[in-house]
Amino acid sequence: MKGSVQAILKPLTYIALAISLTAISFQLIGYSSPLLAKSILEGAVGSPDAITNSVRWALPLLVTSLGVVVAFRSGFFNVGAQGQFYAGAIAVAFVVYPLEGLPPAIMTPAAVCAGIAGGALWALCPAILRLTYGTDEVITTLMGNFIAALALIEVTTGVLKDPAGTGQSSSTRPIDAVYRWSDATGVSTTLILVATVCVVVVWILLNRTSFGVLAGLAGRNPTMLVWQGATEWRLGCAAFLVSGGMAGLAGAMEVLGPNGQLISDFLPTDGFTAILIALVGGLSVPGSLIASLFFGGLAAATLYLPIMAGLPSSAVDVINAVIAILITARAWPKGFERLLMFMSPAHD
Amino acid sequence: MPPEPAASGYYALSNLVAVANALECRGVTVRYDNVVALRDVSIALEPGRIHAILGQNGAGKTTFARVLAGIVRPAEGSVLVDGREITTGNVLEARRAGIELVHQSFALPPSFTVAEAMEFGSEKYGQWPFSRKTLRSRWQPYLRALQIDVDANAVIGDLPVETQQAVEIARALVTSASVLILDEPTAVLAPGNVKALFSRLRALRDTGVTVILILHKIREVLAIAETVSVLRAGRLVEGPTPAAATTTRALADAIVGSKDSGATGFGTDDLAALTGVGPAPVPAVEIIRAPEQRETLLTLSGVVTQSDDEGVGLSGVDLRIHAKEIVGVAGVEGNGQKALVRALAGLVHLSAGRIRLAERDVTSSSLLARRAAGLRVIPFERNVEGLSLSSPLWENWSAPRLLLDGFAFINPTRLRNRCDAALRHWDVRFASTSQRAGSLSGGNAQKVILSREIDDDARFVIAAQPTRGLDIGASAFVWRALRAIRDRGHAVLLISSDLDELFDISDRIVVIASGHIVAEFQPPYRLSEIGAAMTGAST
Amino acid sequence: MTDFLIAVLVAGTPLVYVAMAGMLAQRTGVWNLGLEGLMVIGACASVVGTKMTDSVALGVLLAAAMCVVASIFLWVAVEVLKANPIIAGLGLTGLGLGGTRLAVQTLYGSEAAVQVERGLPHLDPALGPFSALSIFAIFMPILVAALWVATRRTRFGLRLAAVGEHPFAARSVGASPARYRLVALVLGGILCALGGAELALGSLRFFSANMTAGRGYMAFSAVIFGAANPIGVAAAALFFSAVEVTGVKAQLTLAGAIPQNLILALPYIATVFGLWLSGRTGRRTRVSLAELRDY
Repeated sequence: MKGSVQAILKPLTYIALAISLTAISFQLIGYSSPLLAKSILEGAVGSPDAITNSVRWALPLLVTSLGVVVAFRSGFFNVGAQGQFYAGAIAVAFVVYPLEGLPPAIMTPAAVCAGIAGGALWALCPAILRLTYGTDEVITTLMGNFIAALALIEVTTGVLKDPAGTGQSSSTRPIDAVYRWSDATGVSTTLILVATVCVVVVWILLNRTSFGVLAGLAGRNPTMLVWQGATEWRLGCAAFLVSGGMAGLAGAMEVLGPNGQLISDFLPTDGFTAILIALVGGLSVPGSLIASLFFGGLAAATLYLPIMAGLPSSAVDVINAVIAILITARAWPKGFERLLMFMSPAHD
Repeated sequence: MPPEPAASGYYALSNLVAVANALECRGVTVRYDNVVALRDVSIALEPGRIHAILGQNGAGKTTFARVLAGIVRPAEGSVLVDGREITTGNVLEARRAGIELVHQSFALPPSFTVAEAMEFGSEKYGQWPFSRKTLRSRWQPYLRALQIDVDANAVIGDLPVETQQAVEIARALVTSASVLILDEPTAVLAPGNVKALFSRLRALRDTGVTVILILHKIREVLAIAETVSVLRAGRLVEGPTPAAATTTRALADAIVGSKDSGATGFGTDDLAALTGVGPAPVPAVEIIRAPEQRETLLTLSGVVTQSDDEGVGLSGVDLRIHAKEIVGVAGVEGNGQKALVRALAGLVHLSAGRIRLAERDVTSSSLLARRAAGLRVIPFERNVEGLSLSSPLWENWSAPRLLLDGFAFINPTRLRNRCDAALRHWDVRFASTSQRAGSLSGGNAQKVILSREIDDDARFVIAAQPTRGLDIGASAFVWRALRAIRDRGHAVLLISSDLDELFDISDRIVVIASGHIVAEFQPPYRLSEIGAAMTGAST
Repeated sequence: MTDFLIAVLVAGTPLVYVAMAGMLAQRTGVWNLGLEGLMVIGACASVVGTKMTDSVALGVLLAAAMCVVASIFLWVAVEVLKANPIIAGLGLTGLGLGGTRLAVQTLYGSEAAVQVERGLPHLDPALGPFSALSIFAIFMPILVAALWVATRRTRFGLRLAAVGEHPFAARSVGASPARYRLVALVLGGILCALGGAELALGSLRFFSANMTAGRGYMAFSAVIFGAANPIGVAAAALFFSAVEVTGVKAQLTLAGAIPQNLILALPYIATVFGLWLSGRTGRRTRVSLAELRDY
């Protein structure tokens, strides 16, 4: 069908354009773009370790981005995935440490609930502000990111500080191995299971429930749904809570999985990348799945670059940013001919 | 039949004296994506006259006006002013050549004051900063000279519709235009104000301005125009013909396409209404109501709502609608029609009063509850309130059912099939239920809304401007549907700014002004009476 | 009291400049969430430029140039390629944050803070506490007043407002929305460069990664809080700065009774509060998300 071919081709075109632009710019600055490309590929898929690493980063990104997909499709610009992620992680820490000693059969569900609840509650405040008072959610959720980051620092340097910790980044003490969902590699059946369940649940929610259809309509034309009798509150609350909860669950995955503890500076750009994944995937579940593998690979490469190739890790951040700027473009790149005429015909 | 010799004599004389045409188009073609909006239109309009461009909705009249004004660039063709060709698609050039366009929905930022609107449209004064006082002293005399009675510091959004239109015309004239184009200026005016507009236009013509009017009512054209041209499906099918040399019948045929006017199955009454021929003939209505028709289906008592962003509120509305009747609501736009629909739909809170649907008091019921009781709303703005244009048809169509059922698992295939069947039943032209609602034509989109709202349980239908922007065939379809609802024993409340439509289809007409019902009329309807009630004054 | 006011002005000047940039964009209907990125580019480029040429003026000029280039990039994405302004703005911010880190890494070999000897010129030290104000801070009220006149009392300002409020009306008088948005974004870019320069060179004299810490977003909120009116926006920006300064002072006096991180969070909380407050009084405009999906 012409429609879906176009749907896949457009993001790919813009990713290619973004990568080309950054490659040219890097070359001009003095980096070897071919070396950069080679290193990224090596860091992402160059060895079994690299692939493991890519999957390890892809999993929490996938879960977070599924939440972003739900929110964006419903018409809510929840860009606070980062903060909701932190909130979920903090909530898990506050459950796991005090309750240490309980059997894993109780701890694991408790941790899952804590993670989801932490993220969902963190999204609740901007949700209420938006649904009751009409306060735009972009800035409120963004501010939530900053506040959550500070809260994380507060918790890891204060209440739950690891007494044996040293210098640079503060953290809590390591969690008992029996509660962990994976070892330091970050790939395990538990984590993959959690991610799979999320994928299935969100897909069903968006494609096989009335919520999916109604939220989709609300996202594209909320006025029409009001005239059909919908209340923004119900749909909106659900959208915010689900997206916050997913981000929080990803936070739980990080704490109980590869990190094994709460550290004050983990994954500083995870939220933004998750948003990017959702957009690149065209706000669909299968798209997010594929895109999260792509960006997971990029994230794995980010850590590889300085160690193995002497290239700055911020190069990948720049690539991501340029992709973000271009990915929502609706006109084809040959729309550049319009630069020549400032006045366009009257189709608003 | 008007006398022929005089008309042809006039034209023979003017052919001897080669007068440069004020405005001329040659071979103008406009394409939007795959649709051809204008096809090879060539027309020459004489200076100092009032010209009318006639056609039904969708014929390309607005596109034509925008090409002349430089807002739309044609794919082919040229525009000449006073014999000189100007660059198409460039507003500044068109304005410099003296062409100004008054838009159908005014191009005035609502938060601006009148003086600011004048200033921002003019090129006269430089970029020096001005104070509020300077601005007013600059523009108040100008407004006074045009005989527009409004304070230069009044905010446009607060002004009544006919004053906004006067301000829009003033803005267009600020650059001493030589050609003034008005796009459907009569659509929002009460009959009395139409007369005032026409005399203003005649005065302009007398000062040498060439006036081009885009209209779709034959009656109006014959009242004001000196020449008539007809657009149909993007082509110029007639004209410019002197108005005296043509007949109502000929114009109606040209608008509709004579092969259609007999065959489509809408009666002469409807055709008359659609083309605005004149005061409609008296519809045959039983004066004595049969007993079962006295059942009151809808009652509003003393309904009061607050004015808000969406418009003026209701200030005490009492209304009764019975079974088997279509009640038309006439009124100048902005007098509470929107508030009335929102109050009935349950979208706005009542400060006072009650609403009853059959026996039930629904004043505090939600829209969904009222829907369950049989209320249906066809909203004003098809594309904003009625449909989600970028969503698939089946999603748009299924919305009410999904809302009523609450959270549930769905089978999209089953929903799509149901939607498919319903749309076919209503004769919607579509390819697949998965296509976007925005890809349908206006008439088909409206049919989708009808198929969604008019189900077996619909007992009371509120239709707000249901034929706005629709062509003749689609409008006739909508009227058939509304009449069918009435004949089944239900009730219809029809809000429209098109008096011909109301005259043709309503069993009763009420007039709304300043938020309450000021008058009620039974057929035969008289334009002057209803017009007077609409403006609340004798004109 | 004077100390407090001066501290607010010092902290608030970068915010006001950036908020003015956001105000211009907002008036043309563009929600510029790239302010944060532009500000950090301005801060970095001004420091790097000063270090390289040993001239503050050239450093600021470099900052202005880079911010203008970045703003044009945003304009191309949003106007020509029809990208969603909010996502594109967030992307621009990411580009600014990542790009400045990359630049510092490339030029100086590490991501540590970059120090300079010079800073923006200040008032005569003989004026006592007022010498803490840089020339940008002194110029700020003039800037705000000039922008107020330009946007509300000139034909240019009227057309700018029309582009944002009723683009069709603007187009029908010949004011091309695309062109006006370009002008607004380019002017805004220059203002962000000045704001960033003030942040890095006003009293600090160094650049470190992410030193803007969300100020660009606060400036954006000030635009909404002030309803895109230059004086209101400046007042809102100064209010947010006042909260920040109060927090710092409270920390010094209460000496650790309140957790430091809570103090640091105050400006962000104040921003949310300000947005909530403005929502209760004015109308909100939204950018529809319909364009984000392809099918």
